[in-house]
Amino acid sequence: MMRFLKHIVLFSVFASLPIALFLGLTAHLNTNIVFKKQGGHLYSRINEIPKFPKVDVLFVGSSHAYRGFDIRLFTKNGISSFNLGSSSQSPIQSLYVLEKYLDSIDCEKIVFEVSPQAFSSDGIESALDMISNDNMNWRTVKMGLEAQHMKVFNTLLYSAYRQFLNLDSNFSEEKTKGKDTYISGGFVERQQQEFRKSASTHYEIRQRQLAAFEKIVEVIKGRGIELILVQAPVTLAEYKMYESNEKFDALMSTYSVYYNFNKLITLSDSVHFYDSHHLNQYGVEVFNNALVDFITK
Amino acid sequence: MLFNSLEFAFFLPIVFCLYWLCNKNLKLQNGVLLLSSYYFYSCWDWRFLSLIILSTIVDYCIGLGLKNESHSISIRKLLLWISIGVNIGLLGFFKYYNFFIEQFTAAFTLFGTSFEGSTISIILPVGISFYTFQTLSYTIDVCRKKIEPTTNVLAFSAFVSFFPQLVAGPIERASNLLPQFIKKKQFDYTSAVDGMRQILWGLFKKMIIADNCAEIANTIFYSPADYSASTLVLGAVFFAFQIYGDFSGYSDIAIGTARLFGFNLMKNFSFPYFSRDIAEFWRRWHISLSTWFRDYVYIPLGGSKTSKAKQIRNVFIVFLVSGFWHGANWTFIIWGALNALFFLPLLLSKQNRTHLDTVAQGKLFPSMRELAAMTSTFLLTAIAWVFFRAESMSHAAEYFQYMFDWTLFTMPVLISKVSISTTLILLLIFVLIEWLGRENEYAIENIERLLNRFLRWCFYAIVIAAIIVFTPTEQNPFIYFQF
Repeated sequence: MMRFLKHIVLFSVFASLPIALFLGLTAHLNTNIVFKKQGGHLYSRINEIPKFPKVDVLFVGSSHAYRGFDIRLFTKNGISSFNLGSSSQSPIQSLYVLEKYLDSIDCEKIVFEVSPQAFSSDGIESALDMISNDNMNWRTVKMGLEAQHMKVFNTLLYSAYRQFLNLDSNFSEEKTKGKDTYISGGFVERQQQEFRKSASTHYEIRQRQLAAFEKIVEVIKGRGIELILVQAPVTLAEYKMYESNEKFDALMSTYSVYYNFNKLITLSDSVHFYDSHHLNQYGVEVFNNALVDFITK
Repeated sequence: MLFNSLEFAFFLPIVFCLYWLCNKNLKLQNGVLLLSSYYFYSCWDWRFLSLIILSTIVDYCIGLGLKNESHSISIRKLLLWISIGVNIGLLGFFKYYNFFIEQFTAAFTLFGTSFEGSTISIILPVGISFYTFQTLSYTIDVCRKKIEPTTNVLAFSAFVSFFPQLVAGPIERASNLLPQFIKKKQFDYTSAVDGMRQILWGLFKKMIIADNCAEIANTIFYSPADYSASTLVLGAVFFAFQIYGDFSGYSDIAIGTARLFGFNLMKNFSFPYFSRDIAEFWRRWHISLSTWFRDYVYIPLGGSKTSKAKQIRNVFIVFLVSGFWHGANWTFIIWGALNALFFLPLLLSKQNRTHLDTVAQGKLFPSMRELAAMTSTFLLTAIAWVFFRAESMSHAAEYFQYMFDWTLFTMPVLISKVSISTTLILLLIFVLIEWLGRENEYAIENIERLLNRFLRWCFYAIVIAAIIVFTPTEQNPFIYFQF
């Protein structure tokens, strides 16, 4: 027994070197260490927060938010805003960003983009995005540990190591990545106009996400900020993938003012979207103009 | 508590240490195993512990009843039927109640009459199909006087609920496992190291092979209409590897974990995709279930030592029941029927026991004939897996409709972010290792003899690193937990 335990300990010490070596050699495969490589421009967004200390509207949510709420269109209508959306942001990560940055951005209204997809997400992709782009503190560590996923742990350790050694002091994120261009204030514009269908999936709301969402509502209302829940439009086929749309609408309506733009505006899949989830710039304009009307009501 | 979860990584060393700290007292050891098994199960839903306890008490008492030599044959049969009734009753209610109500309603509606049966919202208790079959084997074997009934309630309870194989097998026989709870154990270094190695290989199969294949298979199966026929074939192939990596990986972890506690569980998989015909495949796939059905259903029905018509009937019964055991859905029944159809020609031509050895035994490469036989058997099983994976019959029909058209001869294309090339390379390495180790209990068993300690430890470290690097973002629960 003692020999067995001794060998377990010895192996753990021995293995750390080949494991570190293997991880180093395979880091370029971009598999289970994610570091400032996500396409959502979160790094740039977070770094811009000090430039937007006071806004009328703060947008929070997934790529539906940072690709769907064009702050330039809101500025045209006399509404100052900042977009804190990020890749696959689920309520767990929305709670994280709000708790961390709400003290730095004074806002009157928060437009929270909600969708069955976000509520059914395991939050891993978003956790990776947050950890690899944000400055780490205890909140980040807590959020990462709660994800209970190896990829998140790897990224957490790697990010901590880079931050500890200050290895990213010279890092700057490119404004244009492929067809995406980052617009100051958090919006990401996609040049692609043609529609490409993407794979759909089934959705089932997770209790963890709902609990985080309830906490968000509590935090926002506790600060006296007006909360507007918005479901951004997706293609009709995608919208139909979720069987309980009515239930979801009813659930959201119990928390705050809620607008489901899949029902409020009429869009064409091929004209207004570039994939099943995301609006192209024509679609963004239609959506945002309609939203301005609701916000200024 | 999944085997590949952080909770289990804490749970296992604690139970391991507690268990071996009590190695001077067998009762205490069994007590530790029983309590930890109940805790392990209650992590899913503590309410369903009552079902395990009920099954344990009923079968323990019936075992004692069967011990009484003064009972007539009819009383013995009655006791056996009570055990079958309770176990199958539990299984039937939790797993099949809604299915039968829906089928009755559909059948009555078809004939123009109405049937007022309402379905109820039932959670399927995890592992119920496994532990009910395990306890049933005990009472049947006691009734057949193959084993002596036990009077040791603690050992029997630990046998029914033994956590490594409680929720997804291997479905153990009392004749193999129960005596191990009654015999005093000494810690065996070689066996423990072997267990750790098998756990590592199981984790590799589950977290790298199964979960990476799952990402691709899930994407394709969700919307078959979006893909070319060749991509759908690829989807079926990836699912074939997903289910093998998932279930055999689970079994490896279960067997390895049991070995850490000094227990030897039966082999559940024996490199089934290197089979040369379907009969060989079924001797190598989910062995504990196949042999269960063989011993308790097929042979009592007459097996193959009866008329041709009855042989056909027996084969169909076994495969249909096996399909139905997997789930209350027509897709599983059709999957079973399809396998029966694949198997029958071999049985009727008495070719079903042609390949009892390992393919290309003692050789590095298979012959062209063996390669062709393995490929065709694999493709047959992959086709049948489409029914197993499909959510409904219409989903399976849609999959097949798009799988057989002119795009079968185009290059497969995926509309997703999933990296096929990395998964294919990992799959290739996996198949190679499995091929080289196909004559062992599990693929890397022989490494102890082939490599010195330094190289062995390097190999283990690389496997661990590969798990860390290549585990996909999407977490998939073990497929067989749903059964």
